[in-house]
Amino acid sequence: MQDLLDAITTGLQNGDGVDSLIAQSDLPQEDADDFVEMIQALQTALTPLEPREEFSTILHADLLEGESSLLGRLRGMPARVHVAAFLAIFFGFVLFALRRLFGSETAQDMQEEAVVTPL
Amino acid sequence: MKNPFTKRVDYKALDDRELVALAKEDMDAFGELYERYLQKIYSYVFYRTGNAHDAEDLTAKVFFRALSHIATYVEKGVPFQAWLYRIAHNLVANWHRDQGRRKIIALDEYVVHSLKSEAPDRVTEEREEQNQLLQAVRRLPEDRQQLLLLKFVEQMSNAEIGAIMGRTEGAIKSLYHRTLLALREEMEMLQNSDRNRRLDGSEG
Repeated sequence: MQDLLDAITTGLQNGDGVDSLIAQSDLPQEDADDFVEMIQALQTALTPLEPREEFSTILHADLLEGESSLLGRLRGMPARVHVAAFLAIFFGFVLFALRRLFGSETAQDMQEEAVVTPL
Repeated sequence: MKNPFTKRVDYKALDDRELVALAKEDMDAFGELYERYLQKIYSYVFYRTGNAHDAEDLTAKVFFRALSHIATYVEKGVPFQAWLYRIAHNLVANWHRDQGRRKIIALDEYVVHSLKSEAPDRVTEEREEQNQLLQAVRRLPEDRQQLLLLKFVEQMSNAEIGAIMGRTEGAIKSLYHRTLLALREEMEMLQNSDRNRRLDGSEG
């Protein structure tokens, strides 16, 4: 019975006739008609659906462009670019630290001078 | 900006396995997988949730989860397609759990959309029949609903369905048989209750 129903479904999905399949089986005609009708109704009711175009476009962008603009792009760059980026960040950090260090010293000197200088 | 010296890949010509291997590092390869499976996953999720809003939300989650795990995905007897459907199935199951109920959802949105080009009398009659059938489908246990969607919406073979549901082809055939019998019973019950309601209405 399960093989027969499977074969009927495949036959209907392929647009083939299923009468010979039913005739060769010992399934009562009334039952066979019920199943064929139900399978055809399922074929009509359960069809593929298209998502909204706006949704597909936005999701595509969220998935791929968000990533490619940052990590994806960096990953795709040659090794020398990675080295250059690392050096730039490193020296940038050193420069920032030096400026903070000397900047704070200069401010401290100015404060001390202000205290020493008589009005 | 793309490296002009990089060899251009024809993603459409690649099969899923090749695309998955590339997609671990190449976003365009993942983009092709997205194009291939968006409609399928959306349809599957739509029929399982019954509304476009949740279908979109869950579809997005499926692809984000796939993207975040694709680097560690290894095909061990589960093809990419089956893996993706399993993600969708798990997310839908969680969604139903969060909803706290087995919703019987009126799929009017879908039915109206699919029948609007036909004659009005016929539309009303067919809409009623389709609604009844979809209601009966939604009353079935989760695995039976999944089987019907994969068989009819996605037109998958028993082997493909088996890979997604983690069962043998024989088990799928057997489940399909039991599903049709159960669906026939559900339809009879719905038709009887509908008939009784009409009789009550005409008497009252």
